[in-house]
Amino acid sequence: MTTPLGPLPGTLELLVLKTLGAGSEMHGFAILDWILRSTDDVLLVEDGALYHALHRMESRGWLNSDWGISEKGRRARYYRLSAEGVRALSEAERRWTRYVDAVAKVSPRESEA
Amino acid sequence: MLGPIRRLFSLGLGRPSLRQAVDWEIEHHLEEQTDRLVEEGLSPDEARREAERRFGDVVSQRRKLMATDRRRVVMGRRAEAWDMVAGGARQALRGIRRSPGLAVAVVLTLGLGIGANAAMFGVVDRLLLRAPDHVVRPDMVRRVLRDGKFFGTRGIVPATTYPDVEDLRTIPEFTSVGAATGPTPLVLGAGEGAIQVQTVLATHDFFTTLGVRAHLGRLFAPDDDRLEAPLTAVVGHEFWQRSLGGDPGVTGRTLDLSGHRVTVIGVAPRGFTGMDLEPVDVWLPAVPAQYARDGSDAFLAARTYWWLRSVVRLRDGASLAAAEAQATALHINGRDEGHRDPDVSILTAPLIAALGPNASEESKVARWLAGVSLIVLLIACANVANLLLARGAGRRREVAVRLALGVSRRRLLSEMVLETTVLALLGGLAALVLARWGGGMIQALLIPDVLWSTPGLGGRVVAFTAAVSLLAGVLAGFGPALQSTRADLTRDLAEAGRGSSGARSRLRGTLTVAQATLSAVLLVGAGLFIQSVVQVRKLDLGLDVNRLVMATLEFQGEEPDAAEATRLYGEAMEAVAHLPGVSGVTSTDILFGWAVVEDLAVPGLDSLPVPPGGGPFYYGVSPGYMRTMGLRVLQGRSLQDTDVMGSPRVALVNQTMARAFWPDQDPLQGCFQIRDQPECISVVGVVEDATRAGLSVDGLLAYYVPLAQTDQPPRGLYVRTEGDPRELAAVVAPAFRSYSPRVRFADVKTFRELMDPQTRSWTLGAALFTAFGALALLVAAIGLYSLLAFDVAQRTKEIGIRAALGARRARVLGGVLLTGTRLAVLGVVIGIAISLGAARFVQELLFNVDATEPMIIGAVALLLLLVAVAASLVPGLRAARVDPMEALRSE
Repeated sequence: MTTPLGPLPGTLELLVLKTLGAGSEMHGFAILDWILRSTDDVLLVEDGALYHALHRMESRGWLNSDWGISEKGRRARYYRLSAEGVRALSEAERRWTRYVDAVAKVSPRESEA
Repeated sequence: MLGPIRRLFSLGLGRPSLRQAVDWEIEHHLEEQTDRLVEEGLSPDEARREAERRFGDVVSQRRKLMATDRRRVVMGRRAEAWDMVAGGARQALRGIRRSPGLAVAVVLTLGLGIGANAAMFGVVDRLLLRAPDHVVRPDMVRRVLRDGKFFGTRGIVPATTYPDVEDLRTIPEFTSVGAATGPTPLVLGAGEGAIQVQTVLATHDFFTTLGVRAHLGRLFAPDDDRLEAPLTAVVGHEFWQRSLGGDPGVTGRTLDLSGHRVTVIGVAPRGFTGMDLEPVDVWLPAVPAQYARDGSDAFLAARTYWWLRSVVRLRDGASLAAAEAQATALHINGRDEGHRDPDVSILTAPLIAALGPNASEESKVARWLAGVSLIVLLIACANVANLLLARGAGRRREVAVRLALGVSRRRLLSEMVLETTVLALLGGLAALVLARWGGGMIQALLIPDVLWSTPGLGGRVVAFTAAVSLLAGVLAGFGPALQSTRADLTRDLAEAGRGSSGARSRLRGTLTVAQATLSAVLLVGAGLFIQSVVQVRKLDLGLDVNRLVMATLEFQGEEPDAAEATRLYGEAMEAVAHLPGVSGVTSTDILFGWAVVEDLAVPGLDSLPVPPGGGPFYYGVSPGYMRTMGLRVLQGRSLQDTDVMGSPRVALVNQTMARAFWPDQDPLQGCFQIRDQPECISVVGVVEDATRAGLSVDGLLAYYVPLAQTDQPPRGLYVRTEGDPRELAAVVAPAFRSYSPRVRFADVKTFRELMDPQTRSWTLGAALFTAFGALALLVAAIGLYSLLAFDVAQRTKEIGIRAALGARRARVLGGVLLTGTRLAVLGVVIGIAISLGAARFVQELLFNVDATEPMIIGAVALLLLLVAVAASLVPGLRAARVDPMEALRSE
């Protein structure tokens, strides 16, 4: 097993948006777990960073949160995308795709020996 | 993947605090992580430790998360509030567009109510709330007052002698002591262009005591205030602008002030009026100026020459009681033994004169008027509430729909209150116009001797108006809003806003009664003050105050000696005696308001009884005095041209003096001695009592001797006319100013003008109580009218059915009139009860009027009833004309 990677700077929000993109409601630990598992244990998000991202995104109006009882019977804070969050998700995905495409296009320059 | 979430807060557990929420969230994470690690094979303890290690420092994480959350909450609240304000404003504009008539009525009603308050605030602020301008730490500055017998009568007076000022300077509780005279007119220039300027003589430490600084140049230094110092002057800012062209190089200029050359050394700051509020044109140093005026330095030591008023600045932590006790002791012991009056005390009072024991009558009346303007505002608010309630009835369906759609009541409520507040703010704008105009008028006409730095409108007035507008908006809007959101959904939706709610019309009735009550109170006040003015005008002052003009002359060059002055005044009398309109002219050395009290001795009397009016007051007069002044000689003869130096000395005494000194004998057989003069002056006549200075003629001792038998020259003239004294003044003034080249200036005033300041408080009260009362009545009448009109409109169907069933029109009309008058009667009864209760508080402000005067109360009751009938008549007639067919068809 290879060592998991931390997400690239600026991509944590995209990861959260994508996780919640299907309209699901999840608590922080579940989001963390989901990102790790769905990337086959490649992307490991730091605990504190995740919660900061969640609160920041809520302030920005992308997420709404509510308190509920988890399947284990615990009191947990559940996040879901707001309408604005949905818009933010498509925008962030578009930019990410352009970025990845752009990176892929860069080929090494032949040396002019 | 996740099952349906069981919502925690739909269970009604309430929201956690921010801190709690963050803690719960962190704890939940740690628990889940621990579970996971246990699954991976760690022991529970190890797992928990590992989970905490991975999470990092809980305290700092929590702080950061909470900071983010707090920002979110603040922003959220701000957005919500803004949303509400914007929504309310939109709603308000929609409301105004939908019923512009109502909006105009609300804005005007509140505008009048707020305007009355804004105008009065300008007055009260100047008189009662703010210390005179440019005084540093005014709370540490106090006026010095003397409580005791003064010229025969007991009273608290601000009078101080020069030795008293020097005594005060030795008291360690005071850091500084200053004194100044009241404003006296002096003449600037000579001949055609001569003008009167208000001059105050001030000691050099007067300015330092107040803490004022020069606008230009400098203020008085101790060297300017020595007996033989050349005369210097500080000019008032307004005078400098007006008469000296605002010349920046004014220092060093000389002014010709009543024959004295004075050098300007500085300009006082704008709006500086010393310890009082009257405008001052020129300040002169007290000692040399008084020396120049008197031609003697006796005032420096005289302990009965009360020409100054003092102010002191207290040391930090000074004991007032100790200071007053020291001042009292110094004042009493300053007199020679045998003249000491132990029954005198020296007091200090706040710099704001209206807060001290000798507050002006105007300021007392102003205080009441401020209260009255508040009542006007309450009436206006009640009226607006009334209008809004009526409108609320029409809007009930809309409100019910919005409530049914899930708009919160709180939101509806604040929208409605906001709507009224918007209207009230518009009313506030209207009020500012009114305050600028009306307040300026009150200030200029009714309280003219105050320097109003910003006539009508100042920053404080605007701020006050804004605050009152907001308050009025909430006050008038809240009740009706509460009423109309307390809706019964199903019924209101079903009735489609046609039904009338009993509670609502009861509330409207109560508001109308309250308006009538307050109007009645104000009108009773108006009646009392008007009656006071009538009584003052009717007062028999002995003198024919409506027929007289007073003139004082000022001469060029050297002050004329007694013989010269007598000749000059004699020529002046000749110069006007034959002018049209003049029916008499006389001279005297004691002008209205002046007083000279001499020690008298009456053979056979050990001590002389002195009635409460004081005296005996001395008058030196020319022979025509009684006839010109309109004083009736009741016994004996008047003074004659033959009563001159060398012939036996004679005097007339007034009735009170005749009764007091010769109670059981013929006063014409009596005689009295002045001071230690050997000759006994024979009483040759008794003359009716007359006023000396004020509005009271009761119980003062006075005697009149021929000027020709004294060494005194005349100091002024009275001219009598049978016509309008104002016209006479216009005729004689130029004659007095030009009859001799020696004349520098003649000051000519009608007697009424002299009396005006004394009657001003009643004029002020009468004018403003009447204005406010009329306003209140108008607003209340509109309120009653709108209430009845609305009622009739709502009950059209019912009235139609009754008409169809055979009710007579007169009965329908009578019913409406009865409703209207019943409310008015109730209001009048309560209003009169309140007036009677307040009577003893206003009594001291009235003149010869009983505050419970039944005539006035009756008149007010009648007036209100008539107005109530008039206001009910239109809706009543409309109800009587309801066509049964029409009314029923509209169903």
